Amino acid sequence: MSKGFHPDQEFSRRMLMAGVGGGVVWAGLVARLFQLQILEGKKYDELANENHIKLELAPPQRGRILDRFGKPLASHRRAGRVTVIPEQLKDPAATIASIRQLIELSDGQVERVMEDIRRARLRRAAFLPVIVANELSYEDFARMNVHAVELPGVQVEMALTRSYPRGRDFAHVLGYVARASQDDLERLTEGKTSDEATTIERMFRHPDMRTGRQGMERFAEEWLRGKPGFKKLVTNAAGRVIDQIPDERLAPEAGKDLFITIDMDLQRVAIERFEGESGAAVVVDIESGDILSMVSTPAFDPNDFVNGISGTDYAALREDSRAPLYPRAHGGVYPPGSTFKMVVATAALETGAIKPTDKVHCNGYYHFGNRTWHCWKKGGHGTVDLHGGIKGSCDVYFYEVARRAGAQAIADTARKFGFGEAWSLGMTGARSGLVPDPEWKMRARKEPWYEGETLNFGIGQGQLGVTPLQLALMTARIATEGHSLKPKLIGLGPKDPDEHVLDAHLDAEIMKLMKSGMYGVTSEWGGTARSSGDLGLGGPRLAGKTGTAQVRRITAAERATGVRKGEDIERELRDHALFVAYAPAENPKYAISVVVEHGEGGSRTAAPVARDILAHAIRTNSGRKPAWTKSASIKPSADEGTPT
Amino acid sequence: MSRDGSFSGYSRGEARTRTARSLNFDGTSSGLLGKMARLPWGVILLIVAMALIGIAMLYSSTYTNPAEQHLWKLQLIRFVICFGIMIALAMLPLSWWMNLSWLAYAGTILLLLAVEFFGVTGGGAQRWLRIGPVAVQPSEFAKLAVILALARYYHAMLGANGSRFLIHIGAAVIILIPAALVFLQPDLGTALAIVASGGVVVFLAGLSGRIILAGAAAAAAAVWPVYQFVLEPYQRGRVDTFLAQLFGSSGASTSLGESYQIEQAKIAIGAGGLNGKGWLQGIQSQQDYVPEQHTDFILTVIAEEFGFLGATAILIGFAILLGWSLYIAFQSASNFGRFAVAGATATVAFYVVFNVAMVLGLLPVVGMPLPLISYGGTAMLTAMSCFGLILSAYLHRDDKLNTTGLF
Repeated sequence: MSKGFHPDQEFSRRMLMAGVGGGVVWAGLVARLFQLQILEGKKYDELANENHIKLELAPPQRGRILDRFGKPLASHRRAGRVTVIPEQLKDPAATIASIRQLIELSDGQVERVMEDIRRARLRRAAFLPVIVANELSYEDFARMNVHAVELPGVQVEMALTRSYPRGRDFAHVLGYVARASQDDLERLTEGKTSDEATTIERMFRHPDMRTGRQGMERFAEEWLRGKPGFKKLVTNAAGRVIDQIPDERLAPEAGKDLFITIDMDLQRVAIERFEGESGAAVVVDIESGDILSMVSTPAFDPNDFVNGISGTDYAALREDSRAPLYPRAHGGVYPPGSTFKMVVATAALETGAIKPTDKVHCNGYYHFGNRTWHCWKKGGHGTVDLHGGIKGSCDVYFYEVARRAGAQAIADTARKFGFGEAWSLGMTGARSGLVPDPEWKMRARKEPWYEGETLNFGIGQGQLGVTPLQLALMTARIATEGHSLKPKLIGLGPKDPDEHVLDAHLDAEIMKLMKSGMYGVTSEWGGTARSSGDLGLGGPRLAGKTGTAQVRRITAAERATGVRKGEDIERELRDHALFVAYAPAENPKYAISVVVEHGEGGSRTAAPVARDILAHAIRTNSGRKPAWTKSASIKPSADEGTPT
Repeated sequence: MSRDGSFSGYSRGEARTRTARSLNFDGTSSGLLGKMARLPWGVILLIVAMALIGIAMLYSSTYTNPAEQHLWKLQLIRFVICFGIMIALAMLPLSWWMNLSWLAYAGTILLLLAVEFFGVTGGGAQRWLRIGPVAVQPSEFAKLAVILALARYYHAMLGANGSRFLIHIGAAVIILIPAALVFLQPDLGTALAIVASGGVVVFLAGLSGRIILAGAAAAAAAVWPVYQFVLEPYQRGRVDTFLAQLFGSSGASTSLGESYQIEQAKIAIGAGGLNGKGWLQGIQSQQDYVPEQHTDFILTVIAEEFGFLGATAILIGFAILLGWSLYIAFQSASNFGRFAVAGATATVAFYVVFNVAMVLGLLPVVGMPLPLISYGGTAMLTAMSCFGLILSAYLHRDDKLNTTGLF
């Protein structure tokens, strides 16, 4: 270069070199673009899609619970709700205050929401919505919808909520659903593999997911729950959801509908018939064993539990003196009183301790040992045989019969009828009650059995405790003259592992005698419930048995002063009124038990209730073919076809 | 330098004829209006188009983010101001540029020293100087100042006798003082850009090929010690990340720091395919996956939303602008003009090359904006000033600039 250097030419030469160099670099850049965008474009496109698509667990829709005719008892309701997205709120307190001007929020709610917002921020999940208010009324929803635009970060949306359209009517049968608590999760994941347990825990963390906490909802949890799916969500780099891509294959599988055997309308009629009194009633179809009605009143509203019940509301329910949380029909234990007399008579007849024609003279009291036992009828029944004893519910007769049969025989027979056994039928809270016998007493009380207790046993008092459901089953077995009975509450649903047939041998002849006595109760002179015998359907009558369960002993002083009538005693000290019956008397279809708490006399308060419920069942043919059998009547499939 | 101060090139005559004709036409060739009329409006239109594309891309990458969605307006205002500055600079006679060269250089050195002592720290480095309401990056001005000083230097030193090795020593000093100050901030990218564009001027000034080869060998030998002992830890990290992704072990460490940025940038570019996903439709771009997307990584938006065709069009746009600039360097009658234009061209070219290569994963992340297109005021001002200088050189390409002496 130094020799013969021509700056001008050299400059031009070098300019050219620089230009060519630049061109080469430029071509290299374009080549790289070509490589990334054309040659490898597909790969990067897939990466971009993977990048921003997130699979989020989508909760399945819970199956409905339907009555025997397919009417919904538990379903879903679209309800408006207000949520806030914490990260979009400049001043959460101010936003909540503005919402409060539009809809009613309690101090407790506000406190909960502020806590949720604070926690969402701590967990760096401030882009997930926090629920401010659920179950908006139409007016509130409309008002919030209009004003939400002015409130950044506030969303007003419709969401599906578990709903119990019949409210209290089925509270104790269906139970309710709730957000899964730690206890629920432990119960739900029990015996699962760790993978399944993880899926379940993930699923139940979803804010829209509920689990059955009580009743049929809890028992049939897996049947109703369905399988979770996934939502394909489009997210940005911060993980915030921007959009959703529909994908059929990932859709959650809805839970199965569950049919129960109850007739919703009969249930309603039965509850109304209680006219606000506390009590229970169970109607069973004696042929199929279907429970057609299962009343426990008063009850709570399960809808209150779905989105979490407040502490004060729950405390109010628990402390309510009328015990709305108490499932009386299958978990309420009462002394059966005189409704138990058929069991005592059956025991005595089965063991041959008495003959139906054996007579006992009743003049109002019975001496045994150094004590006097009274008959409910002050002047006594005169001379009665088995038929008269049942018809007039003569206590003296049954003191004698019980003494002859012995406590053990009575207890054995009681168990054959299903007493002393918990019948959950898929519900929670079922209790077995207690059938006492000498062995039990020795074990539990460390005392021998006194024969005086046998006398009390004979009239359904003492340690004996039964549930209304057990009473209805007893009545059904008498009505069928000892046929086996398979009580059930689940029409189409998961199999009840406890389910079994009540089929201990009962002599048909003895059962006929019982029926005759029960017919006498409602239809003959001297029957304790003669006024309730006519169903009011222009012919068919019912046959039944009254009972009075002592809430407390009547003291000798009261007996002496003649203060015997319950009206003179505080309500909660009055006796429970019981009635068991079947109808129609000639051709039984339904059996019923009714307990009216503090109803005083079985004939006066319980029998008319039972009569009206039975009348409705017969009139509307409650036991007719249920809805699920239609769907079950499928033609035999091809591989079951005729052999060639 | 004692003689003419310019070469008598083969292309001169034609240029002179054309200028003379225009002179004759309006007779006010030195007047502002006349100069305006003689501006190369086609080239200016291309500059405006590129800047507007940048603003459209800026809008696309920021409009979903409430904190950033106003930036495009800000950038538009900056562009209008910078455009005014560019036209004003274009009006300056080349002699003014030359006379102001040393002043600008000295001022820049002072500013760089000021940064060293009073600078504002931002992004892990001390680059910003707050003067009243505006924050400036003197390192950006340094690029232009070094070019002007080099052109002024060679204009004075380079005679018809051509290159003497010793002359280039002086040029090296002119380059290395500001480069070292910038490097100390530390701003490796800008320091390299100053050295690179200065080096291009030295190369054009006729530095011996043997020296260049020796220098290249020395640079290669220095790579390892520089990496090990000179680089800041974060700079070393960038180099490591770059090497890792260049040699294919990229997938292993996505979502981690620098590697995440490069990886997401590549995904955005690759996902664009041939035609792109359409304006405002890019998945990566719309969902903030690529950090710094509206500034240094703006090309990823273009590549994703307008595909290979769009990105290539941008590169072709730059090629036209830079090619035209080289042609102006070629046409300049004065040494100052040709070296200044060539240097300014190289400055813009290195911006583009470093930025695009970085975004495409061919160079480590060095924090270099894409001129005209990336969001940011200082970079816009530097690029537009470079074009202002080039336009001035175009208008005054026949000025002989018979200055003698170094000062």
